[in-house]
Amino acid sequence: MITAIARRVASGAIVLWAAATAAYLALLAAPGDIVDAIIGDGADTPQIRSQIIAEWNLDRPAIVQYLDYLLRAAQGDLGRSYLLQRPVRDVIGEQILPTLKLAVAAAVFGVVLALILAVTTRHRWVRRVSSTAELIIVSTPPFLIGIVLLSVFSFRFGLFPVSGDRGWAGLVLPAITLGLPIAGVLAQVLRDGLDRALDEPFAVTARARGLRERAVLVRHALRHALMPAVTLLGWLSGVLIGGVVIIEQVFGRPGLGQVTLQAVGNGDMPVVLAVVVFAAAAFVLINTAADLAYLLIDPRLRRS
Amino acid sequence: MRRIRPAAAVIALTLILTTAACSSGSSGSTAGAEAGQPVSGGSLTWAVETEPITFNPHQYAQAKARLLVWNTFEALLTHDSRGGHLPWLSTGHEVSADGKIYTFKLRTDVSFSDGTKFDAAAVKANVDQFLVEGYNPTVLAVQLRNLDRVEVVDPATVAFHLKQPDVLLLDFLSSPQGAQVSPKSLKEAKNLKAGGPELAGTGPFILDRYTAGQEVHFTRNPAYNWAPANAGHTGPAYLDEITYRFLKESSVRVGALTSGQVQVIEGVPATDEALITANRQLSLQRGLNSGSAYSYYLNTAHAPFDDLRVRQAFREAVDVEAVLTGVYRGSATRAWSVIGPTSPFYDSTLEKTYSGDTAKANRLLDEAGWTARDAEGFRTKDGKRLTVRLVQSAPFVRDRRDVLAQAVQAAVKQSAGIDLNVALVDQGTATKALADGEYEVFDNSRADTDAGAALNLLLHSGGAINRTGLKDPALDKLLEEGQASGDQAKRLAAYQQVQKLVITDQALILPLYAPADQVASATTVGGLSFEPTAGVPGSAYNVWLSK
Repeated sequence: MITAIARRVASGAIVLWAAATAAYLALLAAPGDIVDAIIGDGADTPQIRSQIIAEWNLDRPAIVQYLDYLLRAAQGDLGRSYLLQRPVRDVIGEQILPTLKLAVAAAVFGVVLALILAVTTRHRWVRRVSSTAELIIVSTPPFLIGIVLLSVFSFRFGLFPVSGDRGWAGLVLPAITLGLPIAGVLAQVLRDGLDRALDEPFAVTARARGLRERAVLVRHALRHALMPAVTLLGWLSGVLIGGVVIIEQVFGRPGLGQVTLQAVGNGDMPVVLAVVVFAAAAFVLINTAADLAYLLIDPRLRRS
Repeated sequence: MRRIRPAAAVIALTLILTTAACSSGSSGSTAGAEAGQPVSGGSLTWAVETEPITFNPHQYAQAKARLLVWNTFEALLTHDSRGGHLPWLSTGHEVSADGKIYTFKLRTDVSFSDGTKFDAAAVKANVDQFLVEGYNPTVLAVQLRNLDRVEVVDPATVAFHLKQPDVLLLDFLSSPQGAQVSPKSLKEAKNLKAGGPELAGTGPFILDRYTAGQEVHFTRNPAYNWAPANAGHTGPAYLDEITYRFLKESSVRVGALTSGQVQVIEGVPATDEALITANRQLSLQRGLNSGSAYSYYLNTAHAPFDDLRVRQAFREAVDVEAVLTGVYRGSATRAWSVIGPTSPFYDSTLEKTYSGDTAKANRLLDEAGWTARDAEGFRTKDGKRLTVRLVQSAPFVRDRRDVLAQAVQAAVKQSAGIDLNVALVDQGTATKALADGEYEVFDNSRADTDAGAALNLLLHSGGAINRTGLKDPALDKLLEEGQASGDQAKRLAAYQQVQKLVITDQALILPLYAPADQVASATTVGGLSFEPTAGVPGSAYNVWLSK
């Protein structure tokens, strides 16, 4: 048990280090240097350049800067934002909660809606309507879904505020926008899983024992259908991380998506690196959760 | 910030559908007309497009952040509407005969919101802060390059000693970078360069809450009683509090306004203007910005723009009027000079003297030897296509300038067979292309309040943003005269010659449009205005909300 945990932690640390290093190399390889990024479209003279280089210690070799960065990151010091002139820890720290709220709300909404859809729309035409709607939602850009939801529920009927992270009302529309595509994909996967499970011999046995179709579905088939859906959790983390960038922009919400967009656009290396490491950490956590979920869902795996 | 454009039409349609119910009749009303007499009290919510990178006025670099700066901070001078200056935190100033010493008398009744008294020592502390390594190298290298030292003569008198005469000092002392921050904040703030609630100013509002990515909140400064003469009223501001919410999507800002969730929005794109003007509960105002017009600067360092005839031909090949109408639906103001039309130095005699003459463009190119055509219809010379490259840095593209570039591209191809190659790239790639001289067209507009400051950067042979490759001692001399003289007539004469040289004689620049700001508001909001000279939305000092 302890070795298993240790192995998890070690592999997680390696993933974080690899992500940070890959991001560092990518930023290094990108055209233009940090001084260019800090200058932006403003005045550009040798005097200005030398001051910027001196301020951020950019005259050291890249490898020294990289090792220095790793050493400090390991001690929890993520550096200062070139652009925002504040410690990266503060920048990320104050934006993490709104993003987590949004991500969790969207994930819960998406999963619950997918379960409801997969279980309740089993019959011919309902199934076809639901399946078509899911496909349409999945292929619609989240940006557009957000604008349409805003136009109807906020601008037209005034049910929810347009922007900000202020109370639950402000979370509803962004969470639905981010959760709908998740529900669309998961519902499709779950429905397929249910179809397959209901054809298995155990389903026939259960029916033979006199169980009602609904009980066969919920108590027996669903457990089997969940396995492929859980595999999609890794994909889910990608959708959430990519989705918040757009959702936060549309809804004027604070959060990591906004910070990331600004940092990438301005070549703000310390912030970009911190966000990459954070995203990698989230990915590791979610995948660990998925592995645990397998054990929970399938008792056969617990024995081995 | 980049927007996702294909969706714009759908969004506009959705908004039209959802607002159709309440839109009837026409507006034509000006803000304030229906808001009645000014009343004190109330809280206002204002949605803005741009979240400032910093709240420290000394670090100011975004014209879109200017309206926030003046709520909290103030400068020694302010601009009047005719290119001159009015006293603000000063009561008057004198210039020595040699133009090298500017002595200011200061107000003695002013305090910062943290209780610190405003005096000559505070002014010196603010300017000296720029000498700190890495604090703001750009201001040190540009605005303060002629400053020798600041002298505290007595608590109410401060003198600026210059190395050489520089009238742009007055522009600096009326700019956000010249704004006065409490010396106590300068010393104690943890994140000085980022600014925020920990920086105290003397302004009519106090910044008390900033939620990054969401909003910034100001409350009224009850002690305020030192507004400049052109501020509209005296004493404290009308509003109790004001919240600026950051809404980056223009369609979302418009929707928030039409649904009454905010009372004022800044940044209304041309595509959404009809939604505002069709609604009787809303009004729209537009202000032309100061500084340089949005222009294409032609790189004379190498072929083909080293040939005057090709530069002239490029300009003649574009029907600017038609291009602007196509992209901005008549909401853009055409520019004829590198200087914006609201500047006192603008030379209106340049209007209608060039551009849009296709026959002339083709004749000039024939004369320059670009006579052959290739399979795609582009002109060639010695087997080389007549290609010119425009590199745009995506993070800085605004006002649909990428779309405008495509329209110009189509125009020069159709009318003269010129291949304008437009590349929309990241900041690093753009900087590299500029550094390597891998471009023929450079696009830029600057929001400097004194157009001379913009021209120094863009046209002087030592200018920090000189991308034309032109090094002309006569031009440099004219620019230096414009900067040194305190005599407005002499400055005007110098800058008119500059404009004639770069626009008429050298055909160095293709001016396109005068950048503008739009503010839309509910008709219950009064006192909204644009800052004199700068032409950007003003602070909230004079704004009121009718009950």
